[in-house]
This record gives sequence, C-alpha cells and structure tokens, in this order.
Amino acid sequence: MKGAFTYLLLPAIWSSRNRAARRQPGDLTRAFLFGATGIGVFAALFYAAAWVTWQLNSYEELGDYLLRLGLSWIFMTFLAFLTFSGIVTALSTFFLSDDLRLLLTAPIASRRLFYARFARTVAQSSWMVVVFIAPVLLGVGVVRCAPVSFYVTSALTTLAFAIIPVAVGTGSTLLLVNVFPARRARDLLMLMSFLFVGSVVILLRMLRPEQLMRAESLPDLTGFFSSLQSPLTPLLPSFWAGELVFASLKGGWDLMHAGALWSTALACCVGLRIADERWHFSGYSRSQEAPKARFAHFRGVDVIARRLPLSPVRKQLFIKDVKIFLRDVSQWSQLLLLLALVLIYLYNFRVLDLGRIPYMSGFVKNVYALLNLGMAGFVLATVAVRFVFPMVSAEGRAFWLVRKSPLEMRDFLWSKFWIGLIPVLLLAETLTVAANELLDVDPFLKSVAAVAILFLSFALVGLATGLGARYPRFTADSPSDVSGSYGGVAFMVIAVLLVIAIIALVGWPSTTYLYYQLRQRPIPGVRLASMGACFVGAILLTLATWLHGMRSGIRALDAMSN
Amino acid sequence: MIAVEHLVKQYGRFTAVDDVSLDVQPGEIHGFLGPNGAGKTTTLRMIAGLLKPTSGRVVVDGHDVALEPEQAKSSLGFIPDRPFIYEKLTAGEFLRFHGGLYGLEGDGVMDRVHEMLDLFELRRVEHELVESFSHGMKQRLVMCAAFLHRPRAVAVDEPMVGLDPRGARLIKDVFRRMSERGVAILMSTHTLEVAQEMCHRLSIILKGKIIAQGTVDEIRQLAGGADDHLTSVFLRLTGGTALQELEEAV
Repeated sequence: MKGAFTYLLLPAIWSSRNRAARRQPGDLTRAFLFGATGIGVFAALFYAAAWVTWQLNSYEELGDYLLRLGLSWIFMTFLAFLTFSGIVTALSTFFLSDDLRLLLTAPIASRRLFYARFARTVAQSSWMVVVFIAPVLLGVGVVRCAPVSFYVTSALTTLAFAIIPVAVGTGSTLLLVNVFPARRARDLLMLMSFLFVGSVVILLRMLRPEQLMRAESLPDLTGFFSSLQSPLTPLLPSFWAGELVFASLKGGWDLMHAGALWSTALACCVGLRIADERWHFSGYSRSQEAPKARFAHFRGVDVIARRLPLSPVRKQLFIKDVKIFLRDVSQWSQLLLLLALVLIYLYNFRVLDLGRIPYMSGFVKNVYALLNLGMAGFVLATVAVRFVFPMVSAEGRAFWLVRKSPLEMRDFLWSKFWIGLIPVLLLAETLTVAANELLDVDPFLKSVAAVAILFLSFALVGLATGLGARYPRFTADSPSDVSGSYGGVAFMVIAVLLVIAIIALVGWPSTTYLYYQLRQRPIPGVRLASMGACFVGAILLTLATWLHGMRSGIRALDAMSN
Repeated sequence: MIAVEHLVKQYGRFTAVDDVSLDVQPGEIHGFLGPNGAGKTTTLRMIAGLLKPTSGRVVVDGHDVALEPEQAKSSLGFIPDRPFIYEKLTAGEFLRFHGGLYGLEGDGVMDRVHEMLDLFELRRVEHELVESFSHGMKQRLVMCAAFLHRPRAVAVDEPMVGLDPRGARLIKDVFRRMSERGVAILMSTHTLEVAQEMCHRLSIILKGKIIAQGTVDEIRQLAGGADDHLTSVFLRLTGGTALQELEEAV
C-alpha cells in the first residue's frame, strides 16, 4: 500500500475526514444550501435531458440521429473545457502546490508522484463535467429504458474521455513551465482560461439556440447540428465517446470506438509520464526561482487618488487596494468573464421578440422590467459576495499593519465600502438602465428601477463589507474560498431575501400605477398612500441593511483590536 | 556524509551560489552562516533535492542527489525554513504519513512516532489538528518528522527561529544526541551563539561564495582576532552587509 501512488492521496482523504468530524459554525447550513442547490441543478438537468429525449422519440430515425449528434456535441463542448481546466489545475498540482515541498524531499519514485498528481488533476479538472453529464445521461437512459450496460459504459466512457484532454492540458503546462517561470505562466493561463470561457459563452449565445424552440424552424435543426460538425470531428475523443454511449443506449457494443478511446487515454498517461519523468524536476526547480517579477506601476491610480477629496490615510488605502486588485490577474480576469455575461444578458433583451404577442407586449415589457430589476439585484449580490465580501479578508496576514496603525477601524471599513461601492453601483446601474432602455419600458418604471438599484447597491455593498469584517478569513488561499465561507453563504441568503423583499415593495406600487395609467383613471388617495408607504418601506429597508451591516462590521473589527 | 562539490546556482545572470564546496562528516554538526540573501537556503534546497543546481553536485551518504535521488533522500532528513505541514491532519497522522513516505511500515511505526513525540514533548497533542499548533510546536513537529526515519544526515535551515528558550534548549540537546549517534548535521543559522555553542566546524558564505571554513578557533584566527566573540568575527568577515543588517535591526 505504501508503495502505491494512492498512498500519496491519503492526506487529502484524512483531511476531509477530519474536517467532517470537526465541524465549524455554519458548516451544516452551508452543506444544506449547497446540497439543495446541487440537487436542484441535478434535477433540472435530468428533467431537461429527459424532456428533449422524449420529444426526439416522436421523430423516429431523425430523433435517433439528433440524439447521437447531441451526445457527441455535449462531449465536444467538454473537450475544450477539460483541456483548459487541465492546464490550470496541473499548474497548481504539479508545480505550485505547497505540499510538493514536503513530497519532493522524500524518497518517492517520480513515477509514483506523477500518478498521484495526475489522478488529483483529473479529479479536480473533471468533477464539474461529471456533475453535469451524469444527470444528462441518466435522463436520456431513463426515457429510452436503457439497459444497465448503458450506465456502466457511460461511467467508464466519461472517465476515459476526461483523461485525454486533461493529459493534453497537463502536457501543455509541463511545456509552458519549462519555458516560462511557473508563477508568470499561472497568470498567463488564468487570463487565457477566463477569456476562453467568456468567448465560448458569447459564441454559444450568438448561435441563438432559442430559434430551435420555434415550431416552424424544425428543418433548420439538422442544419444547426451539422454546422457543428467538421471532417476532423470523427478523429476527436468526443466523437468516440458519443458513439460509444449511443451504441450502448441501443443495447449494442461499439468496440472500435471503445478501443480508440481507451487506448488513447492509456497512451496519453504513458506518454505524459515519460515527459514528466524527463522535465518535471527542471520545471519545478524553475518555479522556485522567483525571478524579479515584472509588474505594472499603475501610476494613474496615484494620480486619481491625489485628486480625490480624501484624507491621506484613505488615499493610501485606496491606492493599495486598487493596485493589489489590478496586479492580481486571477481577480480582474474574472471581471472580464463577468463583462461577457453582462453583454449576453443585455443582448438577450435586444433579441427578445415581444412583438410576437402584440396585445400583451406592453404588459410583458413592464413585467420584464421588474424581472430585470431582480436579475440585476442577483448579479449585484453575486458580484458583492465575490469581490466586496473578501475585501477585509484580503488584508490577510498583513492585517496587523492596519491594526497596529493609529487608523480607526471605522475609517478602514468605510474606505473598503466606498472602494467596493463605486464599481458595483456603475455595473448595476448600467445593467438596469441599458436593459430597460432596450426593452423600451414605461419611463416611470425606468426611474423606479434606477432608484431602486441605487439603494440596493448601497444596501448589498454595505452588508457585504460588514459581514466580510464580521466573518473574515485572513488565512484563506483565495478570495473565492472567502466567498464560500459561512459568512459568504449567510450574506447570499440575506441578499436574496432582501432583493425579493425590494421587488415586492417596489413591484406592487409600480404595477398599480401602470394599471391606473393604462385606464387613464386617477389613483385613489388611500391607494396612493399605500403605494408611497411601500416605496418608503423599500428605502428604509435598504438604508437599515446598509447601516446595520456596516455598524456590525465596525463593532467586530473594534472587538478584534481590543 | 554530506558532500557538496563546486555547487553553482544561477538565476538568469545572477549567481546565487557560486562554487560552494563543503563536507560534513558523520557525527559532525556543521554550522552554515551568512547574512541574509547570501545563498544559505538555496544551497540547502539543492542538497534536499528541491532545486536543480546549474552545475556541481551533492552527495549524501555516497549517493549523488541528481543521479540517485531516492537513495540520497532516504538517508537525509530536511528541515526547511518554511516547512509545509498538512494543517487538517493530526500530529500523529502527519508523522504516520511521513513515515510511510520513507517506507516505514508495520507495528513499529507507531512506536517510533510515539518515541519522537515524547522526545520533542508533543505526545499530549498527538490527536490535535496541526492548525491549532503554535509556531514552536509546528517547528518541533517538523523535527519529529525529519528524525523519524533515522536519517544518517540532516540539513536544517534556521532551526531556532520562533522557539522559546525551553524549545531552543530541547532542539540543541536533540541535535547533540543525534550527532553523538553519528548523524551528520548541516545547520544554517543566524544565531551566532548557537553556532559557537554547538558546531564542530563552520562555513561562512557571503554573496554565494564560501569565504571562511574551519573550526570556531580557526575562523577567529582567520579574522585576526583570536579572543573575539563569534559575532565580531562574523561581522569582520562579512563586512558591510552584516553591519547594515545590524543597523537595520537596531
């Protein structure tokens, strides 16, 4: 056992067991929330796959053809994702992981270390794919009353399929690290991977898959899928995996594609192991060399800070936070991804064909305006939990600098608030105003939504800053770890409830106003008063959330200092 | 037991370690001294097999680290300046896993783990998670791990940093006992009193080069002050850099 590569995976298993045995406050809540979300996503994917398969059943041979293409297409989508994921994960598992400092001083055969690291890389890179693909294949199998062999084949196929692109990704990392220093390569890859995900999302959106839902466009369906095929497609592992799964769905065996898939996966493992034995140590050694990093000075930040009407202390905090954020590629590259999602979000409103329901379009537009407010609120909450909530924790082990200085915790936290508020407010207002403009909603609703999102921004950024100070994780490895902590989950729960409450408080008076406006009747005094009360209630609720969140954060920081 | 021959490490055009040679005999405690950034840690990392030398070679217990890394590492215990420990493992689990990496198997492993935990006064925290340990406790745990497989040579980087006087005393005693049993110890340190008290021989490194080597008395004579304290000798040999360090510290 101690000679097997699996021995090297024991610390991860023991650590998980110890983590489960010694629960921390909020672990159960987090497990419940994540578990429920996971089950929800699983059920939705299962239902969607089952529904599509059911629909395709009515087209007999065409249905079979489309299902076969669809399976191959799903695997093809994951092929690129797994390759990129493999590149980024391998950089961490093979070169930057802290435990390598321990393992590489031990007398472990390089082959053993390679298999342990590669198993970890495959698991970390592909778990999301498995989570997505399992309910889809299950849904297809249930509707088609597939034999047990279909599920076994699917599991084995997914495993072999995942190994190939991850091995290619790991090989690319091995090459990159031997050319660039690992830490610079990490920045490069991080940026590339986010740009890749962003462009895939935009590309998928531009294909306008919603056209397929129109009854009159059925003849276009085969054309749509055919456009995704190329002469190279049969040479890809995604095609072999799709064929293999489809054959087992029909109760048969496709030994040719099974052989191609497994022999390629094994060849990838062996080839990569040989390359690893040859180049891993030199790459790892380079990753330890830490050459003088090239970095941008961002002198513009100093210029802006000088012009801002801030105290010297706040100016310095502003400069520090902005520069650290801009120099961390993993941080701002996520912003690029977010930007891509925002563009798609707005594009969706542009292509929304409400003219197809002429009598209802006015009403639907205004309902969409409220829906848009809700969506912007949720985007706002997500951005706040990812970027604003970890701001105090991001001080990390350097927080003693702030604590030992004469700076008051109140000033420190308010500085964090303003730094977080401005970009978040700009994003939220742009989203809301642009989407309502594209929808051409009623001017009254436009104004209500713009004001509501302003107050929501203050409330959510204040809450995120305050809770981030109350539940900091100074030792976390990355901001995403902080976002996923107990405090982050608590913030998301409160934020979602707040957004729902605001939609209710703003939605009812707005629709009431539109109702009377449409009928060109005056609004009765009592109703007007209740509408006003709702608006005032929404304002008070957001102000209370904002100020209470900040106060509780300041109190927590003061208690920490004392 | 540890032989370093003409070791060179270059980072681009910068030479961090420049033709360093030293030899640590069985039972010897060899002090490796030098100001910050002189190349001590880089040399030790090359001895431990964590860094690839640009040229030169390291031999541990007769095995070349580059050519026979497994055999060389089996004979070596390495205590880095910034050790890694799995924070979510208990002290006992960490040592058991570490023993496994060095091929320790069977019923004797736990006896050896307990022996080490007793030696470094950590037995009472055997079942505690490492994340709850103080810096000194972690340092002692890393030493437990380094001595667990009965190495014939030990390379240790700044062992006394962050230890309380009792912990420092304990480590010194353990090192002396290990040296009496024939273990070769190469110890980098800034604490000159420790070097003076414990080391049989010293090597002083400055800007990547060994500038003095020998017993404490030989180095005193080399610096031209036979009765001087080692601190004065060190400052005289390393010149401005060390003085600058002192000024900065003050």
